[in-house]
Amino acid sequence: MATIWQSLELLIVKGLPTTILLTLGLLGTGLLLGFIIAFAQVYGYRPLRWFCRGYEQLFRGIPALVLILILHSGLARSFNILLPAFTSALIALGLRSSAYQSQIFRGAIQSVSQGQMMAARALGMSKIQAIRYIILPQAFRLSIPPWTNEFSSVLKDTSLASAIGVLELTKQGTLIFTRIQFVMGVKYILVILILVAFVYLVLTYAGNAALGFLENRLRIPGFEMKGKVER
Amino acid sequence: MKRALLAVFFIGLLAVSGLAQTYDVASDTTWPPFEWADAEGNLLGFDLDVMRCIAALQGFEINIISYDWDIIFDDVGIGRADIGASGATITDDRELKVDFSDPYWSSDQAILIRADSGLNIVTALSLGYTVGAQVETTGAGFIQGLIDAGVSVILVEYTLYPLAVLDLINGNIHAVIQDEPASVASATAEEELAIAGIIKTNEDFGFFVAEGDPNGLLPLINAGVAQLKTLGVYENLRLAYMGPGILAVEAAWKASIGLLDAGNVVDFAQSLADLANQ
Repeated sequence: MATIWQSLELLIVKGLPTTILLTLGLLGTGLLLGFIIAFAQVYGYRPLRWFCRGYEQLFRGIPALVLILILHSGLARSFNILLPAFTSALIALGLRSSAYQSQIFRGAIQSVSQGQMMAARALGMSKIQAIRYIILPQAFRLSIPPWTNEFSSVLKDTSLASAIGVLELTKQGTLIFTRIQFVMGVKYILVILILVAFVYLVLTYAGNAALGFLENRLRIPGFEMKGKVER
Repeated sequence: MKRALLAVFFIGLLAVSGLAQTYDVASDTTWPPFEWADAEGNLLGFDLDVMRCIAALQGFEINIISYDWDIIFDDVGIGRADIGASGATITDDRELKVDFSDPYWSSDQAILIRADSGLNIVTALSLGYTVGAQVETTGAGFIQGLIDAGVSVILVEYTLYPLAVLDLINGNIHAVIQDEPASVASATAEEELAIAGIIKTNEDFGFFVAEGDPNGLLPLINAGVAQLKTLGVYENLRLAYMGPGILAVEAAWKASIGLLDAGNVVDFAQSLADLANQ
């Protein structure tokens, strides 16, 4: 039993910080790039729209693990670009997440009705002002629920970084069960894997709860949201 | 103020880099008794302590990194890590990617089976049974050689050795092939497992660096291994890691590592061997 607690402690001390750092890095990269792409896809000139559409299709169409391997092993071997494992994972998964997030923001922007833009222009606002003060505040609120979903999937995607040796939760778990099987028996591999799963579960739950709280706080009662929101 | 801070930072950086060169050592730390992580996450094992002692004697610093076995030769080969210390047999295929040091350990392959399976080393490898091995190991190569020669045996490869052992216990495969000391560790830990026999392959383990040895490390490593043997350090590390068991050597390591940190290589190895075999 002591060993199990020790293993959990080791997961939290040595694996968790990297997982959290990578998750935050990915969400940040994805948020920034995704927002720019969504904006360009909705309001950009045609060639820019084509480019963004290609980008989004490309990075949504390649499995995350393949993307990581291309960046970490492929580029290194062929072009001698030696990125550290953490950086490779951050870039590969960040590009992937930006493509997904761009679609969240695009959908949110486009779900604000055209009439509002026209009304704002009729009131004398410039296009930029209308986007800034009318469209985005609504789109931002609308994008929180799907963004919560993206958070959950990005968090668990970080486990793929273990494939190139990033010492995060999953990889730390394999190091622990390697030892545990010699000390307590091979059946304890299951116990360690459940511990790893438990840590991800708690993280996902905590993140979703925080984003749910944000969603609730920013809600404008009675405004345009037709479904009943229960919290 | 900012500029002053920056200056201090750079002077600090220079001072640190001037002290001793630090090299990244890549190791697949899922393979007791050669390399693994203890309950606190400290990395230890025969290979790692031999490397630590060499570094202390030859005056360079090392930083050990947990690596996946399937990318370790590629990554050392392209220079992402400087030294490989991972119980690696010297083979011609691997020589294409990396340069090896002089041999520091000689190993044979062992066949691990379930004790109640009634198999022996001949039947396990010739009657169409399934044998597990870690991917790209010499053990996997040996089974592939049998298959190529027309022997009736099936090879299943795993990225991690512990998962092959788990599959053996679960009854999904009939045997596991891998180096003798690690097989002994598995058979000791699991009552259900037994060693069916040893295949005398006479493999030599070597440390490895990128092709052409760009950092000039091989002469230092080779000189270090020779020094460890004359000082008796090598024999003490062998006594500590090959035999007493994982818990005994972990406790001994924790009690002794301070000596190595202080640069006292000989006393460290002596203390490790004495405490582990108490």
